[in-house]
Amino acid sequence: MPQVFPKWTNKVPLYIVGGLMVFGLVVPAFIWYYFSPEYTDVGYMPEQPVPFSHKLHAGELELDCRYCHAQVENAAVASVPPTQVCMNCHQLVARDSEKLAVIRDSLSTGQPVEWIRIHNVPDYAYFDHSVHVAAGVGCSSCHGDIRSMEVVSLQEPLSMAWCLECHREPEQHLRPMDQLTNTTWKPAKDQIEFAAQVIEERRIQPPEDCSACHR
Amino acid sequence: MSSLDLDRSAPHPPSREDEDSAATPRDTGGRLYWRSLDRLLDSPAVQEQLAREAASEFPAGASDAPDQVSRRTMLGIMGASFAMAGLPGCRRPVETIVPFVEGPETMVPGVPRRYATTMPLGSNAYGLVVESQDGRPTKIEGNEQHPSSQGAASTWMQASVLGLYDPDRSGTPRHRASGGAESESAGEAEGGHGEAEGGHGEERAAGGGGAEPSTWEDFLAFVQELGTELDATEGAGLALLTTAHSSPTQARLEAEMAVRWPRSRRVAYESLGDANLFRGCEAAVGSPCRPVYHFEKARVVLSLDADFLNHDGESLANTRGFARGRRVEGPSDEMNRLYVAEGSLSLTGAAADHRLRVPSRQIAGLAAAVASQLGVSTPAGFDAADLPSGAGSKIALIAEDLRSAGAGALVVAGRQQPPAVHALALEMNRVLGSLGSTVTLHEMSDTAYGDAGDLAELVGEIRGGEISTLVILGGNPVYSAPGDLELGSALGQVENVVHLGLGIDETSSAAGWQLPEAHFLEAWGDARSADGTLSVVQPLIAPLLDGRSAIEVLAMLVRGAEVSGHDLVEETWAPVLGEGGDKAWRRVLHDGLMADSKAPEVAVGGALQIPALEGVSAEGFEICFLPSSATYDGRFANNAWLQELPDSITKLTWDNAVLVSPATAVELGLRSRSGQGDRVRLTYREKTLEAVAFALPGLADRTIGLVLGYGRSAAGRVGTGVGFDVGALRSSAAPYFDGGLQVEKAAGTYPLSQTQEHWEMEGRPIVREATLAEYRSGHDDLDRVFGTFRNLDPEKSHQPFGDFDYSESPQWGMAIDLNACTGCSACIVACQSENNIPIVGKEQVARGREMHWLRVDRYFSSVDSEVPDDPEVVFQPVPCMHCENAPCEQVCPVAATVHDRHGINAMVYNRCIGTRYCSNNCPYKVRRFNFFNYTKDTPELVKMAMNPDVTVRSRGVMEKCTFCLQRTSEARIAAKKEGRAVADGDVKTACQQTCPADAIAFGDIRDESSEVTRWKKQDRDYVLLAELNNRPRTSYLAKLRNPHPRWSPESAMDGGAGGGDHA
Repeated sequence: MPQVFPKWTNKVPLYIVGGLMVFGLVVPAFIWYYFSPEYTDVGYMPEQPVPFSHKLHAGELELDCRYCHAQVENAAVASVPPTQVCMNCHQLVARDSEKLAVIRDSLSTGQPVEWIRIHNVPDYAYFDHSVHVAAGVGCSSCHGDIRSMEVVSLQEPLSMAWCLECHREPEQHLRPMDQLTNTTWKPAKDQIEFAAQVIEERRIQPPEDCSACHR
Repeated sequence: MSSLDLDRSAPHPPSREDEDSAATPRDTGGRLYWRSLDRLLDSPAVQEQLAREAASEFPAGASDAPDQVSRRTMLGIMGASFAMAGLPGCRRPVETIVPFVEGPETMVPGVPRRYATTMPLGSNAYGLVVESQDGRPTKIEGNEQHPSSQGAASTWMQASVLGLYDPDRSGTPRHRASGGAESESAGEAEGGHGEAEGGHGEERAAGGGGAEPSTWEDFLAFVQELGTELDATEGAGLALLTTAHSSPTQARLEAEMAVRWPRSRRVAYESLGDANLFRGCEAAVGSPCRPVYHFEKARVVLSLDADFLNHDGESLANTRGFARGRRVEGPSDEMNRLYVAEGSLSLTGAAADHRLRVPSRQIAGLAAAVASQLGVSTPAGFDAADLPSGAGSKIALIAEDLRSAGAGALVVAGRQQPPAVHALALEMNRVLGSLGSTVTLHEMSDTAYGDAGDLAELVGEIRGGEISTLVILGGNPVYSAPGDLELGSALGQVENVVHLGLGIDETSSAAGWQLPEAHFLEAWGDARSADGTLSVVQPLIAPLLDGRSAIEVLAMLVRGAEVSGHDLVEETWAPVLGEGGDKAWRRVLHDGLMADSKAPEVAVGGALQIPALEGVSAEGFEICFLPSSATYDGRFANNAWLQELPDSITKLTWDNAVLVSPATAVELGLRSRSGQGDRVRLTYREKTLEAVAFALPGLADRTIGLVLGYGRSAAGRVGTGVGFDVGALRSSAAPYFDGGLQVEKAAGTYPLSQTQEHWEMEGRPIVREATLAEYRSGHDDLDRVFGTFRNLDPEKSHQPFGDFDYSESPQWGMAIDLNACTGCSACIVACQSENNIPIVGKEQVARGREMHWLRVDRYFSSVDSEVPDDPEVVFQPVPCMHCENAPCEQVCPVAATVHDRHGINAMVYNRCIGTRYCSNNCPYKVRRFNFFNYTKDTPELVKMAMNPDVTVRSRGVMEKCTFCLQRTSEARIAAKKEGRAVADGDVKTACQQTCPADAIAFGDIRDESSEVTRWKKQDRDYVLLAELNNRPRTSYLAKLRNPHPRWSPESAMDGGAGGGDHA
């Protein structure tokens, strides 16, 4: 009696097991990376209604971040400036620039400019800018080197794991208070000693409780 | 940590016998506690339900879908949503940031601001502080500087923020060309709107009876023309009908009206007003005046049918003072004593040390009897012998106690009692020497009050054809007027009817001009509080809809021009503020009131005049009209927070019922079943109403309590057709109580949604109470006084899950003083407003799915096991206990409920998968599950009332009290930014902040000097179910009563109106 299955079928179970193993590694790895905010969110660079250049204003002209984002030290939100703040300068500077048409329209019609949100945490997470700034966490720790960006894009994943990294080991992100808005700040060699001192002084105890952000 | 080191022997665990006794009331310290009448009577329905509950852990039907959606449809919907769930997630949703064009100078986006304003309610005014989130008012709290609120806010005040965002408010003026109203309101008198639906809604959609949208300009043109016509006749035929008010600006405009049109009529009507009180005071003293009570100075209080802790005008200030007089920190402290005589069971009666069940009509006799003991001769019309049987000895005791208190005595009469009783109460105070001490009389000005009599006079003139133009400023008199006046049909005889109201209601349907009223949170105004303090109403937001306030419309009428409310108020205030007015005005706006503007006290010389009393028929049953703790007189009927708020005593939601005493229920053959009430037919003065009956112990026998404020036919999407319109039975001759009612059982039953039978505590000693004397004498053995299960010693008890590290301050904890709590439920609404708690509706409440994070349990107790006639009442607010060994945390498969390092048992919504294991395992049943997406269909306007600092939960998520996590976080962040530790008093939870009795303390229990620690150190401190070793962070201070030592319970008052003797 001839054999029912050809000889190659002997290897099928091996292929199946091997295939499953590869599948079992590849799929989680695929999801691990491609479904994470690091892949889906970082680099998000929407077109804004006004081609505002942070590189020009904050970088070359060296405007302080807090000139526009005035409430960053006082409130949960850093606040996007009212149209009037743009016009503080632009009623004198580059008055007729085409790029500013939207801003001028906004002021004359009273309709606000609708900026596209780039840095967004979920609605059930309550982030507070002011307390982070007070602890000595600088702008660039979350927002990257904004001063060099022509168009702002998302630099960090803003995922919970990413938040917790810093809450568990804040040492690399604590700065002298005069360096908060320096977006090219790098930790010095004695950063660990400096941070230890700062943690003591500013009584920094970054919470890792769920209730710290979710309420 | 939260427990005390009292060195007591470790308590024994509950024995099997204890558990077996679940179905019967548990005997604790000689008292029997029960949760409802069904429970006490052990009706088969309850037994059956208990058996079901025992088998399934949840109330019957708790996991069923509502009737409209079958389980199959539900699965279908769910399947579809799963299939599509992945798709939108692929693309990042674009969110925009919309900054200001010109940023307001002092406004920081995301940081709430607070403004002082005033809520006028009848002739009362309450100072409020309103939180404004980016320009929209979201949370109402009391103004600490204001004499009438003193930092507290009642349920109605807090819920009025939802009223501001009522989607059924009318938006534009409407006008119906041909005058006169049809018989639209004729349906009013029929009553029994319980199941009415649909029909009225369609009527509303048509714009209140065929009225066309109009404009304010058209209305102004109309009043200008009307004004010229009226000038010719000196205003004959013009009548103004307002609500009661105490607004100086409105009074000034009304005076202007009287000057321009001397022959015009100006009438005020308030369904539940203080006209009796004011008339009584004026008759007694000879000039208009208002009494202000100082309960903090009172040592012995006698309430004559007065619900001064809940429904009376100054209840917040009264509760503050009363609770202060009952604050006991140790055995040497003194406590006041309260005697209450009343026909129905009010919160004041529930707080009484001795309560006399007296039908309302016999209160006068009782007052006269007490007065004669105090040496006041019986005034005309009073019959000091008309007393319930067995009252004689009590009266002597009460009089003696009052006399011994002297200037610390206080006699208060209720607003439903006739003026003569108020005058007699004042006279008693004068004789006792308490006038000027516990009660002061203040000159009354700028105040309009009115009652059914005034309105009846006006209706008489309307029927006589004397009135051609009727301007109704605010209120809803067609609904709230006594049914016998048939105001709705009378309005048909008036050529021009103008109605200013928040929505299209019963009255505007009968009006030619239907004007939208501005809510008090969006209008300028002013008001005087009870002691005369000038308070300012300032808008928190520009009118959302095109509304105008009463003073603005009155100015249009009187001056023929549009003047803004702000200018009108300034005109009034400029002479008061005098020189440098601008600075003073800004101070007033900041404080919400003018400091030191209290009205002068009225000096009282000799004996007071007491007007003659008119007798009330003793025939048949006594009919007694009561305010609703939810809708007041019906004006808040469209407020879902209030409709779902359980009545403090009956625990009924979404309905009113005919309240009868258990003995009367037996007499009438009414049965008491869980969730169902027998229908009854009431016949009174040739009017008939069919409604649902509800047996409530504590009522006088043969007194029938009817709760006003329901059965609205045009309230809006929430309130239309809810409950029964008992106002249709009301008579203008006797608007509060009367004899001659006939009651009979009708066929059928009616479903009632109570929060009462849910989460039964299975008879364990949950509430602990003792008398002051017992507490003092048994101070060496408090186990004996308060029951056996004292707090566990943390050192000795087993820690199954290891200890958390609680070394970091603050460690949040709460203490609740049962001795102070009056059960007013203001905390529930505070919590609802602060924490975005959804409304579920009547049917869902019946299934036990109400979402309130904080409930107030009401227990009745009695010393005998018979059906109690005179129960004692205890209230116990139950929020999440924040156990240190939290049973919920141990069973959550996804760690969605976890501890944080400040000791809060946190709920992580985004982790929760809705297994409900936590709720199953919670012995306190304080967890609430979102069975549906209750907030899905929230109208845009209502979303504005949401607190942006708290997540709005979705379907399938468990939620519960968080100790106001958003408030503790805010304080933590603020302290961190200032580089300091969180100080005691930095955080007040919403419930604590609003509590008029100061019954809640919250703070850091590691801080030895914090208020909460001081409370927890008191020897009355205990935790619920300590034997479970859950170590709750919330503890209670046991309740104390202060009965008269010689009061004998054996001769308990009978309370029967028509006799009937126990002995």
